[in-house]
Amino acid sequence: MNVQRMGTAMGVVFAVMAVLPFFFGGTDHVMHILIMCLVWGIVASCWDLIMGFAGIFSFGQVAFFVVGAYASAIFALERGVAPPAAVFLAGMVAAACGVLVGIACLRLKGAYVALVTFAFHMVLEPLLKSPMGRSLGTGGSRGILTIPPIEIFGLVFDADHKVAVFYLALILAVVCALVIWAVIRSFWGTAFLALKDSEKFAASLGVSAFKYKLGVFALTSFLTGVAGGFYAHYVGMLSTRMLGIDLFVILMIMVVVGGIGKFPGAILGAIVTVTLNELLSPLGPYRPLTLGALVVVLVLILPDGVVGLAERVFSGRRSGASRDAAPAL
Amino acid sequence: MPWLEFLDVLISGLTNGAVYALMAVGLTLIYGVSKAFNFAYGSFYSLGGYLAWIILVPLGLWGGYATVFVLAVPLLLGIGFLTEKAVVAPLRARADWEIKVMMLTLGLALCLDNLYQVVFGPRMKSLPAIVEGSLELGGVIVSNQNLGIFFLSIGGMLSFRWLLNHSRVGMAVRAVAQNPQGARIVGIPEKTIFAATFAISTAMVGAGGILLTQKYFVSPTGGWDILVKSWVITAFGGMGSIQGALYAAFILGLMEAFVGYWFGMSWVLFAMFGLLLGTLVVRPQGLMGKWG
Amino acid sequence: MLKVHELDAYYGQFHVLKRVSLSVARGEVVVLLGPNGHGKSTLLKAVCGLMDKVCGRIEYQGEQITGQNARNLVNRGITYIAETRELFPLMTVLENLKLGAYSQSARPHEKENLEAVLALFPRLAERRRQIAATLSGGEARMLAIARGLMSNADFLCIDEPSLGLQPNLRQEVFRIIDAIHRQGKSILLVEQNMPQVSALAQRIYLLEEGCIRFAGDARAAAENPHLREIFLGM
Repeated sequence: MNVQRMGTAMGVVFAVMAVLPFFFGGTDHVMHILIMCLVWGIVASCWDLIMGFAGIFSFGQVAFFVVGAYASAIFALERGVAPPAAVFLAGMVAAACGVLVGIACLRLKGAYVALVTFAFHMVLEPLLKSPMGRSLGTGGSRGILTIPPIEIFGLVFDADHKVAVFYLALILAVVCALVIWAVIRSFWGTAFLALKDSEKFAASLGVSAFKYKLGVFALTSFLTGVAGGFYAHYVGMLSTRMLGIDLFVILMIMVVVGGIGKFPGAILGAIVTVTLNELLSPLGPYRPLTLGALVVVLVLILPDGVVGLAERVFSGRRSGASRDAAPAL
Repeated sequence: MPWLEFLDVLISGLTNGAVYALMAVGLTLIYGVSKAFNFAYGSFYSLGGYLAWIILVPLGLWGGYATVFVLAVPLLLGIGFLTEKAVVAPLRARADWEIKVMMLTLGLALCLDNLYQVVFGPRMKSLPAIVEGSLELGGVIVSNQNLGIFFLSIGGMLSFRWLLNHSRVGMAVRAVAQNPQGARIVGIPEKTIFAATFAISTAMVGAGGILLTQKYFVSPTGGWDILVKSWVITAFGGMGSIQGALYAAFILGLMEAFVGYWFGMSWVLFAMFGLLLGTLVVRPQGLMGKWG
Repeated sequence: MLKVHELDAYYGQFHVLKRVSLSVARGEVVVLLGPNGHGKSTLLKAVCGLMDKVCGRIEYQGEQITGQNARNLVNRGITYIAETRELFPLMTVLENLKLGAYSQSARPHEKENLEAVLALFPRLAERRRQIAATLSGGEARMLAIARGLMSNADFLCIDEPSLGLQPNLRQEVFRIIDAIHRQGKSILLVEQNMPQVSALAQRIYLLEEGCIRFAGDARAAAENPHLREIFLGM
């Protein structure tokens, strides 16, 4: 997808999102879903940036989200930091974790990176529940309750003011999307492509794997951490249940639906997936089963996500003839 | 630490290590041959446990564990083969198939785990011991169950090694792992070999499930722990290296037993990842990595 | 025995072979000459079923074989012999040879072929328990040829067997190819060494930029000014 079309698609998605509260502003349930679409949209785009564009098989995105959420809640509750500042600090904490994990992954390849990042995810739950975690204020297996909402100039962004929260989330999502967009179209995007193709060759061109890999770890975990902090103050309570495999898979569905490496597909994927997950809730215990089956089916029949599908339809209509002729060049 | 207790912990570590070796080798086999990573590996462990439970408890078939192995292993082989053919093989033609396979098998894992939950219920199932009673050797009491598990795992490993080194299929598997194009040239059906290795690895982790769940329990999500352990062992030993996985499995099995004894089970995971990270920082390819 | 008719082959978008036609009769040695990177190996691989994108027609013993995979072709008696890169590096010489006889059609003859091959390559017989990766360049080349012979094929596609070898080893390789030919095998050979080639080949093709630029017997090739210019610098 070219950069211009990427921007247009992003603009359209956010513009449509921006007017939705005029129709659903009164329905709390729908507003909650819309807010979560935006929050997960940020996380899924970050995952897509590191996995799809930078080609690093990071499986730690949910963990960074949880780190951000817990850090923000702890800053606000234990240290009395104002929530907006706490959210920013939480992003920094997540970024620090991201850099640490990134350093561990620096010399590793493919499945090893997946292992180390997933290991971070696996270790986080016992860590949060451990005496050390409790002493930091994680609340152990009880979790954290009564997290204060974000307040800016007397405006309270809590579960009772969903329209306000929604617009704040929208601003956050737009900013994150712009940052990711800027990264992709900058020299970084080219450097990622080069690194993904051949690390040795890229190094010979002066592209430092060290700098870019750690950079992308830091950036994506920062944005994910901020999203986590925002989520914590909006929902008002946290538990380690977020680290279950369900959420992980749901997030993955977002990326798959959107198309790996097809930004801003991940945002679209988040919207589709959150809605779908909501629609599936009557299935009860069969819901995760369905979600799992959905991943299998989607990866098989929709390998490039909705964006890939759209591209295929689009280019098929425009240049189908020339593509068929291509092998006979 | 008293001498007798030390031996007890040692035996438990060796027993678990032997089963881990069996399962880690299965995981390393798929990676070594086809570079695919299977996230649903742990779910096949649970499947092995549930198959054993079905045969032993509700059905109560004659022959006990012998019947379990006779029935379950071919079934696991078949399931593995079909899984590869149905969902992994179609992805191979794509450029980014590695990450797609990871995603797909992760979805499969969620699907299977919840299927178990729906079919068998969330409550854990316990299995009878493979052999009852215990043995006394110079004052040390060893449960026959541990001995049985240990020797069956080692037997499984040895027969796998023999198959890999001396049978025609085993040679073809090694050939594909070492040089896919060369394998094509001599007429080895590469795609069938991929499916066959997936089948063998499924049978190995399933057999691991049959052996190990009798010491612990069968539960719908019990496989995650096993996936992570097999994965850590595989990476620690060097992905694709069978020899490395063997050593790593015993090291981690013993480490788990002793760390669990001294500091408590909750520290095992940290110790394991600590060891892994330490190793990977020094040697990114693991202890004996060569194919990965 | 083998007829290739108007064959096109592609690497991705790159058009490597353009309407190439050629034939090899039973018991013939046909040599394919041409500069590097002009499609010689691609042609061999296309014949042996190792290329994905191929159109045109390939006939073997009167039957259409275009688009069949390597496994079926090995069973029919067509084998590709690469230089050395396609050996199994961590296996012993003997294991490499045994895998050469993996195909259905070669299995019944594994024992007799192994004896014949070891007689033809005494060096390999000495080193049968050695790991392939530890062989010298010349030995590895011999192993590649030996493994190809294990497939019991009637038709061999041999890719630059003398590439990078020192002169005495080169002579040895050509002696062996001659011996194989005398056993009644048909051979399609890619080579660069004009003098040895003209002694060995019944017919010669020149492949340049994916097209056949010359076809004729060895004597005609030796007298062709274009070929002389390219390969002898005259």
